[in-house]
Amino acid sequence: MKLTRTIDENVTYLKKKLASEDITFLDLTVGTKNAVLIFVNDLISKNEVGELVLRPTTLFSGEPSEDELFNAFLSPEKFKRYEHNEIITDVLLGNAVLLTDGFDFAISFGLKYFEKRAIAEPPTSTVLKGPREGFVESLPVNISLIRRKLKTPDLRFENLSVGKFSNTPVTLCYIDGIADKELVKILRKKLSAIDIDAVLDASYISKFLGEHKTSIFKQVGNTEKPDILAGKILEGRVAILVDGSPIALTVPYLLIEDFQSPSDYYNSSYSATVARAIRFISVIISLFLPAIFVAAELFHLQLIPLSFLLTIVNSIKGIPLSPSYEMFLTLLIFEILNEASVRMPRYVGMVVSIVGGLVLGETAVTAGIISAPTLMIVALSGICLYTVPELEQTFSVLRLLFLIIAGSGGGYGLLVSIAMFIIYLISFENYSTPLCAPFSPLIKEDLKDTIYKGFIEEHEFRPKSIKSKNKKRMNIKKDREIN
Amino acid sequence: MNYALKTRQVCLFIIAFLPLSKLFVLPSVLAKIANEDLWLCTVLSLLLDFITLSAVLYACKKADTDFFGLLRANFGKAGEIIVLVLFLIYFTFKAINPLTEQNEYVKLTLYTLMPTLLYFLPFFIVCFYLCTKKLRILGRAADIMWLATIIGVIILFAMSIANADFSAILPISARGTTAVLKGTYKSLNWFGDSAYLLFFIGNFKYKKRDYIKIICSFLIHAIIVTSFVIIFYSIFTSIAHRQRFALTEISKYTVVINNMGRFDYVGIMLILLSNMFSLSLPLYFSCKILNRIFNFKRAFIAPIIVVSIQVIIMVFLNENIIGFISFIQDYGGIYFLIVGNILPVFSALLKPKEKIYANQAN
Repeated sequence: MKLTRTIDENVTYLKKKLASEDITFLDLTVGTKNAVLIFVNDLISKNEVGELVLRPTTLFSGEPSEDELFNAFLSPEKFKRYEHNEIITDVLLGNAVLLTDGFDFAISFGLKYFEKRAIAEPPTSTVLKGPREGFVESLPVNISLIRRKLKTPDLRFENLSVGKFSNTPVTLCYIDGIADKELVKILRKKLSAIDIDAVLDASYISKFLGEHKTSIFKQVGNTEKPDILAGKILEGRVAILVDGSPIALTVPYLLIEDFQSPSDYYNSSYSATVARAIRFISVIISLFLPAIFVAAELFHLQLIPLSFLLTIVNSIKGIPLSPSYEMFLTLLIFEILNEASVRMPRYVGMVVSIVGGLVLGETAVTAGIISAPTLMIVALSGICLYTVPELEQTFSVLRLLFLIIAGSGGGYGLLVSIAMFIIYLISFENYSTPLCAPFSPLIKEDLKDTIYKGFIEEHEFRPKSIKSKNKKRMNIKKDREIN
Repeated sequence: MNYALKTRQVCLFIIAFLPLSKLFVLPSVLAKIANEDLWLCTVLSLLLDFITLSAVLYACKKADTDFFGLLRANFGKAGEIIVLVLFLIYFTFKAINPLTEQNEYVKLTLYTLMPTLLYFLPFFIVCFYLCTKKLRILGRAADIMWLATIIGVIILFAMSIANADFSAILPISARGTTAVLKGTYKSLNWFGDSAYLLFFIGNFKYKKRDYIKIICSFLIHAIIVTSFVIIFYSIFTSIAHRQRFALTEISKYTVVINNMGRFDYVGIMLILLSNMFSLSLPLYFSCKILNRIFNFKRAFIAPIIVVSIQVIIMVFLNENIIGFISFIQDYGGIYFLIVGNILPVFSALLKPKEKIYANQAN
């Protein structure tokens, strides 16, 4: 609905729509005209409102023209608004909106101010070397953090609003000329099509962006660090920032991303390669070791070396549970402890560690309920999974699934489930990008940033797994040429 | 044109999947027939496959559409269906032997305490799932599974080669030509894999040096199979035919076993994993044929039919299947030779679609 030139009509309508008590309708005069400034009390900077809006209104003496009125305000962020709905959205976003009698437009001032968390190192991706700043819940701050990393006119931010009640600002971020235009178009369309009451975190958006709604695997990448995001954008990905969330989403997502740690890029290639290999082996151990152990114990004793077999036999003597139940129960206890340690207050965390880890584990073994090898395998499997924390949730579910299959179907059953798992993974695509690239389909050129972390000279081109028109990212000059 | 496969995937497909079904029972069967000349039977069969593969690659070079399109353009709809039915029968029977071997292997080697078909039946879920997928996924599977095959084979070779006495395969052709030819004839069921590549025609961009690349990968496959049978016979010599499952037996004398358990099972498990894809191939291509003939609207109908037939055969012939396989080996050899080797050779004579339509227009 358009604004009229009569201020009373507009204010009456807006008061009806914005009836909450935290919204102020401040009556003013601009020269000889009546005016009303509308804002949410706790979302604006009152000092700036005083300096940039209220003070200029006192300078008018007669009847201002449209241009005089608009140009009188010094606020760097000001827009003309002609619709009631635009005004409502702006006010709720934290803008101050000035309505003046006799004009069919309002002026919206971007004077948002609210308490923000300080920029700090995100707990999910700590590094020994490299930048420590992380995203916060404020979208403008996050945008500024990215802009500080990429000072190029090609860096694009496109603003959208998602959520019927939350009207959450969502920003698409990409580098024009590197990101695939088709992908940007699809994402824009998908984000605009989201019809939901509220977006309270970026994870809400990620659920809508996945093309396979029931998949157990992640379909959208995420990071809390601007340096990682900048790196991903430079590879041709598109980022999605959500106001109120310190997590930035990235599309398309490859499974290998979660094996890459930010520190890999700041350390030497050798140590990065070793670290990645360790992560990769750890995930395999974590996912399959409990299942293999149970399958071997129940069905394929010939797999176990004789001396180890004797140790196992001695340790399981008198254990009332079958190996599969025993392993399942221990894993379940581990998951319970894990869940509890995340949710409980920090000051009792130590108590849980002692009770859960030492008392419960030690006592269970001594009491003959759980065998020592089982406990050790569960502990090892649990720790190993945390080398790739991003995959922890998905893989802990899969670990239980493999365990159940191995317990009932033995080694061949486990192989069948692994084959299914492989077929599922290799056929999985999101935004025409295979999840398992560059392993399957094999993209030779991209292998140098997988388990093997190549030297800087080897990263001359952007990854082929991600569509991009601009393929080259650095010019390698030989020392001879420089000298 | 958007191709489903890359030449690299065709090469890796040959390395990853073609050698596997020949590593289970074939060495002991050949050892029984040809003794120390078993490797000559293998080489002869591989030579037949090599000739077939060369012809198929020539067809790939000329083709401007896929195999189905070429058949339709050259023989019309009826002719196409006749040829496809021949291949459908071929793949159905070709699948029985390796599936039975696998079932036996699973029962007798992995589940010695509870040998039952039930442990093998879940394999058909994998088979069904793979059959619903497009050719592109098979290429991607090759991209990843070749590593499992190669590591598995290397582990087995490394753990067995020290026990081999290679003089056991000498003198060459000691048993005479008849034994070698008989062995070759009986082993046709395990070979004839070049027919799979017919279905890759028009599905990858054939470039100038692709012939060499694909033939090289075929040679790697041939080397794996031949080396395996040679090492196998060199270890067991005159009792080789009693070692039914060469894959498990080949490394059993290694000293590492005492210290590390059956470490060779790591290799065996990797091969078994890769073999799940390999075993699914005849059924996979049967599904493609059925889909072409009946043009099913849903991707799962052909796999359900094809997999159900194999499950029924496995379940109903459970204990009597060995007799059925002997029957196939004795009387089906000619059919396997014709459809698995000779018929694909004629693919080289198929004219490209464009050429036929141009001639018709003139």
